[in-house]
Amino acid sequence: MIVCPGRPLPFRADHFCGLETQMMYVIEDAINGILMGSIYGLTALGLTIIFGVLKVVNFAHGSLLMVGMYVTFWTVSLTGLHPYVSLIFVIPIMYLFGYYLQDIVIKPIFKAEKNVREPLTVIIVTTGVWYILDNLTLLLFGPQYRSIQDNLLKGKMIEISDIFISVPKLWGFATAIVTAFGVFYFFQYTRMGRAIRATSLDRDAASLSGINQYKIYNMTFGIGTAVAGIAAVTLVPFYNIFPTVGVLFDIKGFIIVVLGGLGSIPGAIIGGIIVGLIESIGPQFMTATWTEGIVYGLFLLVLFVKPSGLFGVKYDW
Amino acid sequence: MEKRHAFWKIMGTTLLLALFMAASLVISPVMAGDKVIKIGNIIPLSGPSASVGDQGKKARQMAIEEINLAGGIKSLGNAKLELYYADSESKPEKGVAEAERLINTEKVNVLTGCWNSAVTYPTSAVAERYGVPFIVPVSVSDKITDQGFKNVFRIAAKDSWWTRDQFSFLKDMQKEFGASVKKIAFVYENGDWGKGFAGQWKQLAKEAGYEVVMDEPYPSTATDLSPVVQKIRRSKADVLMLVSNAADAILLTNTLAEYKVKLKAIITSGGGHADPSFLKAAGKNAQYIFDIVEWETDVNKPGAKETNAKYKSKYGTNLTGEAVDAYLAMYLIKDALERAASLDPDKIRQALADTDLKEGPGMIVGYDAVKFDATGQNEQASLVMVQINDIGNGLERISVWPKSARRAGYTPVFPKP
Repeated sequence: MIVCPGRPLPFRADHFCGLETQMMYVIEDAINGILMGSIYGLTALGLTIIFGVLKVVNFAHGSLLMVGMYVTFWTVSLTGLHPYVSLIFVIPIMYLFGYYLQDIVIKPIFKAEKNVREPLTVIIVTTGVWYILDNLTLLLFGPQYRSIQDNLLKGKMIEISDIFISVPKLWGFATAIVTAFGVFYFFQYTRMGRAIRATSLDRDAASLSGINQYKIYNMTFGIGTAVAGIAAVTLVPFYNIFPTVGVLFDIKGFIIVVLGGLGSIPGAIIGGIIVGLIESIGPQFMTATWTEGIVYGLFLLVLFVKPSGLFGVKYDW
Repeated sequence: MEKRHAFWKIMGTTLLLALFMAASLVISPVMAGDKVIKIGNIIPLSGPSASVGDQGKKARQMAIEEINLAGGIKSLGNAKLELYYADSESKPEKGVAEAERLINTEKVNVLTGCWNSAVTYPTSAVAERYGVPFIVPVSVSDKITDQGFKNVFRIAAKDSWWTRDQFSFLKDMQKEFGASVKKIAFVYENGDWGKGFAGQWKQLAKEAGYEVVMDEPYPSTATDLSPVVQKIRRSKADVLMLVSNAADAILLTNTLAEYKVKLKAIITSGGGHADPSFLKAAGKNAQYIFDIVEWETDVNKPGAKETNAKYKSKYGTNLTGEAVDAYLAMYLIKDALERAASLDPDKIRQALADTDLKEGPGMIVGYDAVKFDATGQNEQASLVMVQINDIGNGLERISVWPKSARRAGYTPVFPKP
């Protein structure tokens, strides 16, 4: 006997439904979960990249995502382009934004704390950046909720018999996978990627071999910010844009990154998909507020059992 | 040089102090020799609710000017009304202290305020202790009039009436359009507000005999609401009732449209659905939603349009529900004073208790009369339901219920096509 989701207690005879309907519901929810989860993963990807190299949890990551969303919003609404075409503008703008944010605001703190392995004050500085960016946006654009009314993806659905699949989320899924592979390839096989990995393993040794670690940091921060920009582009077609939007994804991002393993690229995407699946399938069997509980429970469990996360390396060096 | 600095500092501080004192004291000038009735107003003029307090202040000011211009209180020898303001800063302790000051030092005849329920509640006890009539234009918490006080009179609807009116509306709609509703889904934000509403909904649904097919709180911070929307779709509900904050209201409305959820009506509870950016961000997907509000500018009442136009030309914004309640409060005081023909607090109190105000410039609210029950609650108060629709001027909020307040010439769309 399977209980029909969406029916209240107490159960009655007509509250049970066929296995086929039930299977269809689960498939539909699983698809949504995977699509949405991969987008969560993409929002967390930049966080994991920056942590992997700088060894700093970037609390301003959600705000960078928010900045990316505003850049996308204005590009799309001013030019009327397909949201994904705006990537041409968003990626370089966000890369430069991240590069110089690190160079001007965070680097001096790094230099002041260069003998500390995990510079704590930098975390505090990123928190400051978070508040400044959010409030600056509030000041400039007001508290309004915006969304792009006439973008080419908004509200598009693929309907296969009774199963609905959101087109903008499908685009987001594809983008997340491509971005993750792209970043992975870059770190693994390019000369610059190797330099970044060398710095992440041992920044003093890297410096001794002629790598300018601060430049590497700037670049990594730029890459992380650009990835946040890509995530912003995937969100804009179906999500609202407002000054504190980053906070919602920030918390989720931290959970995903710890779940998947701090610094791990596949970990971020898989962690995102796990969270997405729980959020999507869970509510059909319980109230939606409980799924948050499950996500946090899983988060704690992973911390207890495998503190390095599902894909994290146990000893980082 | 040093001394000069100190001198300017002191001068500056004194000036500032004087300014503050002037601002917080008498606002409306009164001719010497006139008989004066003092009305103390405790409202949030700074702090988080300052914008609401400011609207209330402007509406009071406009009403008082009209009343005084028309000859004041005739039964008291054309006595003029005079407003005293005190800033509550939305803080209960400030409200209490200011009430003491207004009563003891300024010797006000009537008190009004305080918008924030948390401030009104303790302040009403002060007014009761001194036996000063206390008029509450709007503060929704039920408990304000549940204290058994003799001097507290509330004009606006209380908390529990919001849900009551949503259900009366639903019943009236079914009767008017001959459509029947059986299954109801409740979806609400997971906070005090949403849960409070849902608790009352469940009771009302049980009394009215509806089948509740879904009862679902959701986190307001959710980044994806399609799982909840899927659940609504699968529950096959006729009517969906929502309590949402801003971001989730937009997300839910868009997602419901994307998944083509078939509903006869969506009834919402203000909050996010009344947010000015909601219509813009949800666009066409918001069409046909019914929302509950205290007041809407298009309410079909004699004088409403003119009063709103006057207010707008004076202060630059439309009247809000809070402003209308404050405006009505001044006319209520005038009405009671005319009948009391005395400044004796007991006589004023009695006159207020006997109020049956049906017309006059103040009656631009959605309901037809002000009449207080034994607890001091205006038993005639009700809320207004609006429908979001486009009748040629883009999407707008159109008053539809109660029928007497419906915009002339508009027929609500029910059930939703």
